[in-house]
Amino acid sequence: MSASPIITARGVTRRFGGLTALDAVDLDVDSGIVQAIIGPNGSGKTTLLNALSGASHADAGSITIDGKEIFRLKPHRIARLGLARTFQTIRIFTDLSVLENVEVAAGCHTRTSLLDIVVSNARQKQREAEIEHRSREALEIVGLAGRADDRAAQLPYAQQRLLEIARALASRPSVLLLDEPAAGMNMTESMMLLDTIAKLKARGITILLVEHNVRLVMGISDRVAVLDFGRKIAEGTPAEVQRNALVIEAYLGRRHRHA
Amino acid sequence: MLPALCAAAALAIPLATGDAYIIQLLNIAILNAIVVLGLNFATGWTGQINFGQAAFYGLGAYTTALAAKAGLPWIATPLLSAIVVMIASLALGVPTLRLRTYYLAMTTIGFGEIVRLVIVHWEPVTGGTSGLRAIPGISLFGLKPEGEIAHYYILLAALVLALLVAARIRHSSLGRAMIATKNSEIAAEQSGVDTTRTKVLAFMIGAVYAGLAGCLYASSIRFVSPDSFSGTQAILLMTMLIVGGMGSIVGCVIGAVALTLLPEALRFLGQWYLVLYGLGVIVVIVLAPGGLASIASMVRLRERRAR
Repeated sequence: MSASPIITARGVTRRFGGLTALDAVDLDVDSGIVQAIIGPNGSGKTTLLNALSGASHADAGSITIDGKEIFRLKPHRIARLGLARTFQTIRIFTDLSVLENVEVAAGCHTRTSLLDIVVSNARQKQREAEIEHRSREALEIVGLAGRADDRAAQLPYAQQRLLEIARALASRPSVLLLDEPAAGMNMTESMMLLDTIAKLKARGITILLVEHNVRLVMGISDRVAVLDFGRKIAEGTPAEVQRNALVIEAYLGRRHRHA
Repeated sequence: MLPALCAAAALAIPLATGDAYIIQLLNIAILNAIVVLGLNFATGWTGQINFGQAAFYGLGAYTTALAAKAGLPWIATPLLSAIVVMIASLALGVPTLRLRTYYLAMTTIGFGEIVRLVIVHWEPVTGGTSGLRAIPGISLFGLKPEGEIAHYYILLAALVLALLVAARIRHSSLGRAMIATKNSEIAAEQSGVDTTRTKVLAFMIGAVYAGLAGCLYASSIRFVSPDSFSGTQAILLMTMLIVGGMGSIVGCVIGAVALTLLPEALRFLGQWYLVLYGLGVIVVIVLAPGGLASIASMVRLRERRAR
């Protein structure tokens, strides 16, 4: 496995009023691995994801992807640099078809002019054909090819989650952030999701997985980072993290008491 | 099949009625349809509330009226109108569309009022409330169309062109980016869509539609006055879009034609027509929230369920 980090985050800090949601978090993610970020509710997992993707900028710190500084860049610029994501609460484009949802992202590297669109010349038709082809490929990977022409809003919940993954894939990312992808899925659906994640890893995509379901994470992750109250309290292989006393106390311990 | 039927019907109307008044009314309905198609880019697809569409319409009309009266060849007027509204829309859109929520709505209401006040008070140039008369008509390659029927066909051709361009934009990466921006700005951004650019483009393209319709208005009606481009008109255009069906190209045309003809059809009611008109709009919004254009698909869905 190549050891060069594709994401390096240094001192990432995010405050909401008096609350420090992220407190100087450092994170290195090696290229091609599945990196999980776990932690109790409100520990800063999604805040970290938002800071990485530019959805909600960090107040301080440095974040690089593939050596390029992305701190405070607009999200679409970060997306074009090869970072795609899905959302904890589903955010599909409900007025578009399933295929068109994916095409939005597939077209992100294609520059086109209004004139080309209006006269609909050969160059424009070629571009649109490429976008469609790439989008159908992405739908194929997550198993939604058969529903390409349906309205996205008509998909059942679990398939809407898969559609978000297909959309993220279509921009040909080097890094994919998945924010609680198994939320609301049943056992079978979660298993299929794991299959999909394995497929993506095999394609060389680095995956950053934020997940509540610890059991789900441990099986597929190469590395696990644990957040608690905005601080990174542990990092390592799943086995190392599971033995870590701090983690057991902060996260697993508390869960057990709740359960 | 259906579009062909509609086109045939549209072409045949002047043969069925020789009434110049009805044809003139249809001409205004067609112009309104072009303006509403323009409004659909920013509001129907991109989800930005724009009350400046009537002002862009007026800006285009007055630009053409003044240029034509100053003796410029007709062919230059659409270009000039388009450039003027393009500059105005960028001046409004670039600062406000970076911000989310309702800044554009507020800014465009203010803009509409400014345009109206300038037209009313700059009398030596704009003619004030009495407007501008005897505007030179369309003149292209030595052809000078005369009469309502000739203009009807010209405007119909312009509408077809406007529909074609709108359909092409809808099915391009730009059209998808617009709708994605409306559905979820953050998901669009994270999919690589520059949402600010998309919003500005949608707003600008819509303004150009209104500007060009304004140019055609001035040179086919040959008379402009501030009443036709007031804030009331801006709200009427928005109503046409909502009643016809937000985001539906066909809906824009249906809404514009229906709400242009309806007040005339209800004229026998005297002042009561407004009550019926208002009720009609409410009934459509309540029973078919997707607008008149959605009724066909609602019926189809019900049939499928019944089977």
